[in-house]
Amino acid sequence: MAMNINTCSQVVSLARELEQKAAGFYRDLARRWPQKEDFFLGFAEENENYVTLVERAYYGVISDAYEGCFAFDMDPEAYGINIDLPEGVSLSEAGAAALAMEEKIIGFYREAARQSKSLMADVPRAMELVARKRSERLGRLRSMMEKE
Amino acid sequence: MAVLEEPIKEVLELKNYVNGEWVDSKAKERWDVLNPATQKKLATVPMSTDEEVKAAIQAAQDAFPEWRRTPPLARVRCLFRLKEMMEKNFETLSRVQTMEHGKTIDESRGETRRGIEMVEVATGIPTLMQGYNLEDIASGIDEYVVYQPLGVFTHIAPFNFPFMVPLWYSPFALATGNTFVVKPSPRDPISQVKLAEMFEEAGIPPGVYNVVHGGAEAAKILMEHPAVKGVTFVGTTSIGKIVYKTAGEHGKRAIAQLSAKNFMVVMPDADVNATVAALLTSFFGNTGQRCLSGANLVMVGDDEKFNKRFLETFFEATSKIKVGYGLDEAVQMGPMQSLDGKQRVLKYIEIGIKEGAKLVLDGRKVEILGDYPDTCFVGPTIFENVEPDMTIAREEIFGPVASVLRARDLDTVINWINAGNYGNAAAIFTSNGKAAREFQYRVECGNIGINIGIVAPMAFFPFSGMKDSFYGVLHGQGKDAIRFFTESKVVVQRWF
Repeated sequence: MAMNINTCSQVVSLARELEQKAAGFYRDLARRWPQKEDFFLGFAEENENYVTLVERAYYGVISDAYEGCFAFDMDPEAYGINIDLPEGVSLSEAGAAALAMEEKIIGFYREAARQSKSLMADVPRAMELVARKRSERLGRLRSMMEKE
Repeated sequence: MAVLEEPIKEVLELKNYVNGEWVDSKAKERWDVLNPATQKKLATVPMSTDEEVKAAIQAAQDAFPEWRRTPPLARVRCLFRLKEMMEKNFETLSRVQTMEHGKTIDESRGETRRGIEMVEVATGIPTLMQGYNLEDIASGIDEYVVYQPLGVFTHIAPFNFPFMVPLWYSPFALATGNTFVVKPSPRDPISQVKLAEMFEEAGIPPGVYNVVHGGAEAAKILMEHPAVKGVTFVGTTSIGKIVYKTAGEHGKRAIAQLSAKNFMVVMPDADVNATVAALLTSFFGNTGQRCLSGANLVMVGDDEKFNKRFLETFFEATSKIKVGYGLDEAVQMGPMQSLDGKQRVLKYIEIGIKEGAKLVLDGRKVEILGDYPDTCFVGPTIFENVEPDMTIAREEIFGPVASVLRARDLDTVINWINAGNYGNAAAIFTSNGKAAREFQYRVECGNIGINIGIVAPMAFFPFSGMKDSFYGVLHGQGKDAIRFFTESKVVVQRWF
């Protein structure tokens, strides 16, 4: 069983890991469904931008005087995402997997935002911003699935 | 998640940086710089000869006239480039701090950011350094004041913030047109070497910024040399007294930021969870090796239900702190920077037990995350039943030890604080504005926190301090620093 994560550094690393995995997942979907390539690659690019956004907030305001080592208590296993899709799945099945992944990641960002309230405001603000943008993505995914 | 990659791969032979050159020292004595977590040797640092220290001062003196004539805007452009270099190398700088000091990577990144903020504020010198004037002080006569740089300033650095503390001074000194010699702590001098590489790359002219390694002998020269106009020092009060006295005897201005014994005062109306989170950083951040660390935790009032709940929460959170090598992202508290430091903490734990305090969390039985030698490690420690006259409540331990005291009321604790020798920082945790106002008004400490555990002033405010925590008139950082590094010249003019 993995230990809970407590430090800012761990949380930012987990955010980076989730975004990189998610970007890889969308690149795979783009490869499988070339007609949706722009749609999925757009998501992958957004994921990379989210990493930049979170890192910029963290590195930009981290201070030795705040509770960087003690701010969090999160179970990383709660945010494990499955990005391996079997070959031959339909687009709507892939979309459903994407929705499930996105909801997990949104949950991560919301919890990270909630727990980082004691840090410099940029950190929870960045976490909340990514959660909000991802929520908008859910609608785009659902709409794509409905059209199929 | 794993241990982050170490940026120092081989043992470094540190050199002095004098007059824009990296110079091998002829020192007969070199100290080893060890990673306190792994005990691996990172570098050797020379105890520079008297001639080498004097050469650094001479280089700074020679560079002064030209640097002083360099327009402030051109001077700060060098600092803008320096900031760029620091941002570019942010992660390396941070990891070096962790390797040579032992602090966690989050703490090191925080230190790097704070250091950069000093540079950022100093880039405002074209505005900050402006004087003032008044026309017609008498008919046809005008008077104005200009702030002029003085010459060579020095800094004798502490070990606890090897990167940031010298930056409390050097950007302000340079931006105002002075030149600078820094002597890093020989315990963890690598950060200052890395920083000097960036000063060099940023195009700071030769001699304007110099680094000379050494110990007490080098410091003595930096304090006494006739070319030095001012000395800045951060360290213990016992050494600070010598620094301040020596500087005064030699006609130099000085800033000496010194020891502390900081009270964290918890009122019965404090928010338990938020306060405990703040106190963890305060008592155990940087392994308690900071002049702003909490030392005495005072529970005020006789609401035993609240006190019990608060202390149980504090104890539980403290006992879960993960101790280990700071490059492991999971680690929340690193080792002490040195074996000496650890032994000092162990000595105070023994004293606390002997004097009758109740040891409720024993840092001597530390569990280390990962496979590292326990040489410098000591865990978070909590004493209860501490009385204000006990040694552990009065003397600076400079380690991760919290002494819990009980006070009848706020008056009592304010009297305790004001009766102490030190006056660096104090904080109150409350939801009562009147109590907070009373506290900040009456407490004789330079830095007051209201629901803040580490009362660290930002770069644009002075880093204050009172009593035996500070010797001097003007403090480091902010407008105080501008005044410290300049002399007021008053001009009264009349034209016939």
